Amino acid sequence: MVSELPWDSKTGTLKRELAQGMMDPASRRALEAALQIKETQGAHICAVTMGPVMAQEILHQAMALGADAGVLLTDRRMAGADTFLTSHILSLFIQREYENFDLVICGSQTSDSETGQVGPQLAEALNIPAIGYVNQISVKENTVEAQRHVDDFFEILIMDLPGLITIDLSAYKPRYLALEGVEKAFENPDIRRIDVTGLGLDESFNALKDSPTRIIDVFSPTSQGNNRVLKGAVKKVIDQLFDEYGKVISSAMGKDLKTHEHDEV
Amino acid sequence: MDFNPCMKHQLIRKTVREFVESEIKPHVALMDKESRFPWEIVDKMKPLNFFGLQAPRIYGGADLDTISYAITIEELSRVSAALGLCVTVHNSVGIYPILKFGTSEQKKRFVPAMARGDSIGAFCLTEANAGSDAGGVETNAVELKDSFILNGTKIFVTNGGVCGTILVFAISEGKDQKSHASVFIVEKDRPGFSVGEIEDLCGMRANPVSSLFFEDCKVPKTNLLGKMGQGMKIGLTALDTGRIGIAAQALGIAQAAFESSVSYAKERQQFNQPLSKFQTIQNYLADMATKIDASRLLLYRAAACKDSGKTFSAEASMAKLFCSGTAKEVTDLAVQIHGGYGYSKEYDVERYFRDAKVTQIYEGTSEVQKMVIARSILSRPS
Repeated sequence: MVSELPWDSKTGTLKRELAQGMMDPASRRALEAALQIKETQGAHICAVTMGPVMAQEILHQAMALGADAGVLLTDRRMAGADTFLTSHILSLFIQREYENFDLVICGSQTSDSETGQVGPQLAEALNIPAIGYVNQISVKENTVEAQRHVDDFFEILIMDLPGLITIDLSAYKPRYLALEGVEKAFENPDIRRIDVTGLGLDESFNALKDSPTRIIDVFSPTSQGNNRVLKGAVKKVIDQLFDEYGKVISSAMGKDLKTHEHDEV
Repeated sequence: MDFNPCMKHQLIRKTVREFVESEIKPHVALMDKESRFPWEIVDKMKPLNFFGLQAPRIYGGADLDTISYAITIEELSRVSAALGLCVTVHNSVGIYPILKFGTSEQKKRFVPAMARGDSIGAFCLTEANAGSDAGGVETNAVELKDSFILNGTKIFVTNGGVCGTILVFAISEGKDQKSHASVFIVEKDRPGFSVGEIEDLCGMRANPVSSLFFEDCKVPKTNLLGKMGQGMKIGLTALDTGRIGIAAQALGIAQAAFESSVSYAKERQQFNQPLSKFQTIQNYLADMATKIDASRLLLYRAAACKDSGKTFSAEASMAKLFCSGTAKEVTDLAVQIHGGYGYSKEYDVERYFRDAKVTQIYEGTSEVQKMVIARSILSRPS
């Protein structure tokens, strides 16, 4: 849960140095989807992440699983980027280095801040179509067919490539890593680090300052312990309930309860 | 000197932990209760290279360094000491001696199936009258023109009930009329080889430790490992590397007992406060943590020594001696912290307690480790 993580209340950002690094569960599934495409149709997979140097571990993990290349976007000046700037930075990398990409696959949301915003915002930045919360994809020629669970039915969409898909947590159970893969992923892996300059950003770039989002507070909902038990005859209790809480209930329901008759209960 | 684990070793730990937590942990208590070797779990472990941890890739292994190897055994044993035992024995005293002393033909013939996990390795030295005293071995090998005939009984063989490739320590009379120890590779389907009853042991119950019988068991001369009379050297080399594995196994057991104790001490309320508020319990936890940390450092040093090509016999013995002592002491304290519940099979600490003791006995008792360490100290020029 987000609020259980070490947050810096002054900057409104996650203290990543205190959190145990891991590949996001949704990203693991996104990579699994990519690996399955590679196995059936062939593909070049580049795993990209933005974060401090220690985040490179997950690129080794991605390569151990079968990614062909890994890129770490890392720079002190990128620290504190909100989802908008993160998407912007990712889009710069893709435009500069993978101009002819076919498909961007993201996890639907991170397990730390859980906003689910980076994928769709990245599609906007790249000006390509996107489908979010997908649980099954199949690539055909220049299109991708994607299925997602919406309410009580499955929705199937067909999208032109290039496009972007976010994979949710319901499918593409990640495979386990073989130990040989881990060992190999540290033997001359194709992993690069790119900083602000490498992305063509201005030297004065400062993600913390330039991010439009400000997080004011992060907290878990807590019980106030203010429950009241109304006692007495049913009619009396209901009248009391509407008299004292009518406004609150009205606002929660979006209807004015005063227009409803309740005297005849 | 850097005491931080490198990125690779962190990822090895996470990789193993992820697998064992999801695929092994839910079944461990029942495996122990039923004394059952979990073939279905072994099948899942095979493609992940658990059975070829340090074997070269040309034979299908993962080619891990020894610290990665130790971390793998530690993490596996943190959840299942019995499977940790199976894997470390298979790799360190099953495959390793063949890689170290075997001919190229032997490596090609035996290692790939072992590294895939299709043939589980065992190393048998102990007999009714020979354990710490390897010179007391009575299993004998008679040399014929193109073969050897083995006769004898081995006891307490780890993986005995499930092994496919067995390294047998036996003596034979040389041309000089003296007894020479040698090691022979025996495949389980050789006529004259049979598996005895599974031992009814205090711990490690999911590992089928058994006796093995060799009755006029004929093996071709190409199954002699190393040279005639090289048995003691092969045995000691295998045991040095085996000790790193058992030290890692003991450390894993201690770590599991420690983690259970910390969480129990925080949860369990007595006298209206959690156990963790009592200084006595805090002292226990501090002792446990310190011994575990010291054990881990000794273990990784021994592993690093092996990787650097230096002699590591004394370092491996120190690690094994200290880690197994830590396992015994930490699991004892863990039961104590858990009180009556710790003595019940409802909690895992009871199993850790039973599993820990044998780490001070096999792969050389603690007393033998001290002999090895003392010999190393006294042989240094003063």
